[in-house]
Amino acid sequence: MGKTVGIDLGTTYSLIAYQDPASGRPKCVQGPYGTPLCPSIVSVDPDGAILVGEPARRRLLTQSSRTIYSVKRLMGRGIADVQDELKLFPFELAPESANVLRVRLGDRVFTPPEISAFILRELRQWAEQFFGEAVDRTVITVPAYFNDAQRQATRDAGRLAGLEVLRLVNEPTAAALAYGLHEKRSGKVAVYDLGGGTFDISILKLVSTGEGDIYQVLSTNGDTHLGGDDLDNLLLARARAEILREHGVNLDAHPEAVQELRKSLIRAKHDLSSEDRTAVIFDLPSGSGSWVREFTRAEFEAWIAPIVERTIGPVKMALADAKLAPSEIDEVVLVGGSTRVPLVRRRVEEFFGRRPHIELNPDEVVALGAAVQADILESGVRDMLLLDVTPLSLGIETMGGVVAKIIPRNSTIPASAQEMFTTGVESQTGIDIHVLQGERELAKDCRSLARFTLRVPPGPAGLARIEVKFLIDASGILQVSAKDLRAGTQQSIEVQPSYGLGDAEIEHMLEESIEHAEQDFTERQLIEARNEAEITLTATQKSLARDQAQELAPAERRAIDEASAALREAMAGRDYKLIRVLLETLNAATERLAELQMNRALSEALEGKRLGQV
Amino acid sequence: MTSASTTTITAICWSCGQPAPGGHFCAVCGKVQPLPRDTDYFAFLGLPQKLALDPADLERRFHALSWKLHPDNFVRASEAERELSLERSSRLNDAYRTLLDPTARVEYLLAHEGMRREGQQKQQAPPELLEEVFELNESLDELRMARAAGGDVEERARLSKTLSAAARKFQDSLAGVDAELKKLFIAWDQAIDAGADATARRALMERMNAALNRRSYIRNLVASVHKELTEEC
Repeated sequence: MGKTVGIDLGTTYSLIAYQDPASGRPKCVQGPYGTPLCPSIVSVDPDGAILVGEPARRRLLTQSSRTIYSVKRLMGRGIADVQDELKLFPFELAPESANVLRVRLGDRVFTPPEISAFILRELRQWAEQFFGEAVDRTVITVPAYFNDAQRQATRDAGRLAGLEVLRLVNEPTAAALAYGLHEKRSGKVAVYDLGGGTFDISILKLVSTGEGDIYQVLSTNGDTHLGGDDLDNLLLARARAEILREHGVNLDAHPEAVQELRKSLIRAKHDLSSEDRTAVIFDLPSGSGSWVREFTRAEFEAWIAPIVERTIGPVKMALADAKLAPSEIDEVVLVGGSTRVPLVRRRVEEFFGRRPHIELNPDEVVALGAAVQADILESGVRDMLLLDVTPLSLGIETMGGVVAKIIPRNSTIPASAQEMFTTGVESQTGIDIHVLQGERELAKDCRSLARFTLRVPPGPAGLARIEVKFLIDASGILQVSAKDLRAGTQQSIEVQPSYGLGDAEIEHMLEESIEHAEQDFTERQLIEARNEAEITLTATQKSLARDQAQELAPAERRAIDEASAALREAMAGRDYKLIRVLLETLNAATERLAELQMNRALSEALEGKRLGQV
Repeated sequence: MTSASTTTITAICWSCGQPAPGGHFCAVCGKVQPLPRDTDYFAFLGLPQKLALDPADLERRFHALSWKLHPDNFVRASEAERELSLERSSRLNDAYRTLLDPTARVEYLLAHEGMRREGQQKQQAPPELLEEVFELNESLDELRMARAAGGDVEERARLSKTLSAAARKFQDSLAGVDAELKKLFIAWDQAIDAGADATARRALMERMNAALNRRSYIRNLVASVHKELTEEC
């Protein structure tokens, strides 16, 4: 039995965390790039290898048609849902995308759960490297406002990554758990979670009981399409319009340049969280000059104010459902990278009339909470209990396309409802059931979850008595079972999900991914080795061009040149182990060069200091 | 009429085979027990079928049972146990959600006792409100027509004002119905304590049913006024 971890599968970044037995606190695993943040970006190499995270991010600029980001926005969605996204994101969809999207990356086609599975696998590898043992079970967080299809897609991603998903936990609730460890409290808590792509608000009641602390979610609301991405897209749209107006350059034909611009604007957005002004210098494509633009925080805030304001509606609805006024909230917790934006903090503080908590890193807090829940489930030693709710009402379609609500939103999960069905006409052999999620009155305005047909033994109308049980489990995922009360038999129902993958399809993907895994691993090793070799070779060339290289003995110089040439030759081949070995040789050969450079830098620094002291 | 206490007995524990007296767990081996089909929400929470509940007591019971029944406790248990605990913990949550809300609570009791069925509620205006309901519906129609015709602003403002006043009045009668229900709750509880016979209980349930029908009628009315007024804003 391997380790159990908590994973925050985010729109922009994903993290993996564990409960540290030594400190009794959750900790994030640091990845190979010295940060726990793994960019949620996947790139398919022309060789067929899959790159995830930082290496994939580098390809966003050079291989944008083979690289995908923000895939979370596509999870559990159909083609009709993502028309707006397609305008903003350079995704190319393959045909047969109606109910499960299929994204084309180079010459391969993937569903969103498969792409998310690559990210999960990468994180799993980080953790396995860190622990030195297998990781096979996990808790994964999802936005509280995710519907059934989005949750199923997330669970499918876990399965495809070879992980047993013990539970899906809502992100704001996970954050509250992490805070609970931090400092014991009781009272009413509002968690405001504005991430890269999603917004959630959850209202919780903390109660101390003899057995431990209960975290009871009273209500939740949100928008699964509202987040930092929207700020970026807004900036990008404005910038592109200005570039077209001022320079007559249309970036439509330059996807790489658009990514470059996007990156610069995101940097500017980050700057404006701490600075009052910043500038963006962007080289226009095909050498037609540069676009230089200064942004002030005031200007930025005026632009994004409508987006920030869009979060307030869900906050008010969550409070109304919890039957609380803003002043009755004892603590406010901010989660998600976008809550670093000063305007967001000000608006939340103004709304609740109290200063929000920002003690924990807003990027990490959700993953930390997931690790806490994973530990609770794994160890069975519990001094806290999480009672979460379903964010959307569950209903079934009745006569005239009207939805009958059978489990209201904000019901504590697991939750269930029994409904009795019978036939309307003689010798009817089936009853069609359509299950939906949402708050609207008509089926066409709600989210279709599934359809299925109840089999009925022939007989006069109204004789059959089929009891259908709808159960939302602790992960917020629907299960349906039916019982023929007259015959006393359980009926197995084949539920056709409206959006998402069937079981057989997942099995098939699993088999395929295992076949691919070996090949993917080799390809990936090759690419990483080539990248590292390239970086080292460039640095060596630069170093050799500097003054201190003159101090090298001819033999030393010759060793470097020979090692470089050998490495270059190996890079053309496909043997990643050979590249690694020759890279080591080059590193050994350049030791003296590095030393010379260090001495030089040191003496310059000391000289500077002496001058300063005079 | 069925009474919960006589129907919650499971013969023997599915796991250890010892006699099981119908609790959430087997007294001998501690395994979670299957849920009999007709366990009512009151019995599930260890309560008599009384209506004037103390919400704080209800919450304490809910939390205490949550510690024991929540699926968190059964992640490593057998498939069978996981299923049983899922069923029990979902029933616990359904019971708490229903009993916490006074209206849902009495509706549940009446439905459980076969006194109230979905789709059988009378949608007739309460006689004492007949005149007001008539006027309100007239104002609603006028407003809809005025809006459809792009009618003049002053006329619509006047109608909106009339409607708001009427809605407030109906809101008051709603409070009246709730107060009446509250009294009936107490009468019901006293009848239970006094061991009242089926006829006496039935009479009380019929009065509660009538009050509920009145309540749902007025609520729908107020909701449609609010909907119309929001569209007007």
